[in-house]
Amino acid sequence: MSAPTTGASVTPRPDTAPRPVRRSRRRWFGWAALAAVVVWLHILAIQGTGFEPQLLVDGWKGMADFLAQSFPPDLNWDKTIKPGLDATLITLWIGLLGTTFSVPTALLLAVFGARTTSPAGWTYQLARAILSFFRAVPDIVFALIFVTAVGLGPFPGVLALICHNTGVMGKLWAEAMEETDGGPQEALRSAGANRLQQVANATLPMVVPQFVGLLLYRFDVNVRSSLVLGLVGAGGIGLLINQSIKTFRFDAMLTHILIVLVLIIVVDQLSAFVRRRLAA
Amino acid sequence: MNRPLLDVTSLAKSFGGRKVLDGVDFSVSPGELVAFLGANGSGKSTTLRCVMGITEADAGTIKLGGQDLGLLQGKSLQQARRRAAMIFQKIHLVPRRTALENVCTGALARMSTGRSLSPLFFPDDILQEAMDCLDRVGLADRAHDRVSRLSGGQQQRVAVARALCQRADVVLADEPVSALDPHAAEQVMQLLAGLAHEHGLAVAAVLHQPDLALRHADRAIGLLGGRLVFDSPVSSLGAADLDHLYAPDRMAAA
Repeated sequence: MSAPTTGASVTPRPDTAPRPVRRSRRRWFGWAALAAVVVWLHILAIQGTGFEPQLLVDGWKGMADFLAQSFPPDLNWDKTIKPGLDATLITLWIGLLGTTFSVPTALLLAVFGARTTSPAGWTYQLARAILSFFRAVPDIVFALIFVTAVGLGPFPGVLALICHNTGVMGKLWAEAMEETDGGPQEALRSAGANRLQQVANATLPMVVPQFVGLLLYRFDVNVRSSLVLGLVGAGGIGLLINQSIKTFRFDAMLTHILIVLVLIIVVDQLSAFVRRRLAA
Repeated sequence: MNRPLLDVTSLAKSFGGRKVLDGVDFSVSPGELVAFLGANGSGKSTTLRCVMGITEADAGTIKLGGQDLGLLQGKSLQQARRRAAMIFQKIHLVPRRTALENVCTGALARMSTGRSLSPLFFPDDILQEAMDCLDRVGLADRAHDRVSRLSGGQQQRVAVARALCQRADVVLADEPVSALDPHAAEQVMQLLAGLAHEHGLAVAAVLHQPDLALRHADRAIGLLGGRLVFDSPVSSLGAADLDHLYAPDRMAAA
């Protein structure tokens, strides 16, 4: 079995070893060309967006005025803090329902949209197309569409988040299932289990930690999205920020922004905590 | 001699023009443990995978419990195949579920789809049967532990219990002990031999170490380049037979 050994010497023998060859220059030129293209794209983008740092330097005074007017924050309980907290709760509710109510649709589309669990080629293509559509349309556009049906308020915001989140979470879940070890599913197939039984007893239990992690991540994102939806009339703290800017109550605006900051940190810490517990 | 439970003739399979199996004949009878030996790429695993239908054979007949699988289709083919269970090198259990829940999934084909969606709904009689199977592999006391908390050898024994819960009378094991330490490997081999000798199952195992085959198997089948080179009781197996069999591995390592 083992090769004959002649002592313990492992000294290299340069007279017999083949000469090392450097990687070809052509590969180097490829990287240089790629870098040139990236630089060129950035020049076009800077021109296209009017990205001029000089303007910011020249206009610092306007910004300073604006910030000075908003300081100190308005700490009046009845007029600012209480309405701010109430509205923050609405924002949180929009984010929560937008996340949890999209679980059934996202799960269904994920199972059909993952190569390893989809029953047929056409169901895979169809599910992927639906997911792409929901992902491609921004939640603000969905919100504007639903406003025409149910009027202004938090409800169209929830509906918009359900739609958009179905697309994003469905895709993330489908990819998690495709990346997980397919061995247990194959074992159940060889034991005669049908497709649904394989998915329910092998694939899904294998990806539960990833699914919950992605769900919490989407909750985090959706709470922040619901802030922006508030700006276009879906209620919540975003709406209050918008109103305080329009009525030049910049000190109240600052209070609301500080409340938002606390909300975002709390949600972020909470989901990080749960994800850590799951990983352990 | 019993009638063979698994009877395979002229099995052939090519991958991309390369012949992996070239007219392989063998049979496995109830009560015997047959070892498949051979170098890497000799077609041992492909043989088992063709029998299970995980890989589709190009030609040949496979008779399982007297039924010619080539003549069956759809549901009746699935039903006939259920008599054979597979044990994998990588074990393929769900780590987050308990040993008992994993064993129950061997019986999924006997459950209604509705009751099989979650272990919460698994029928009582299947839970009891799964417990009996775990008891047979000596792990009843670990039934409610998550599989991820068991050792590799214990996990492979749970996988054997899953095969038993499938009520298979033919067990095909694809390198069942390659990933295990020597002690656990010994235990799993004793278990597989016990299934054959005490419970009358027909067991075929692809093995990487000939010494395991010599100690536990009744018969050894040697494959070389997709052809059968010997099929004889292990007692009559000589060093020259094995030397010939593993020549390709030595070539590859040189």
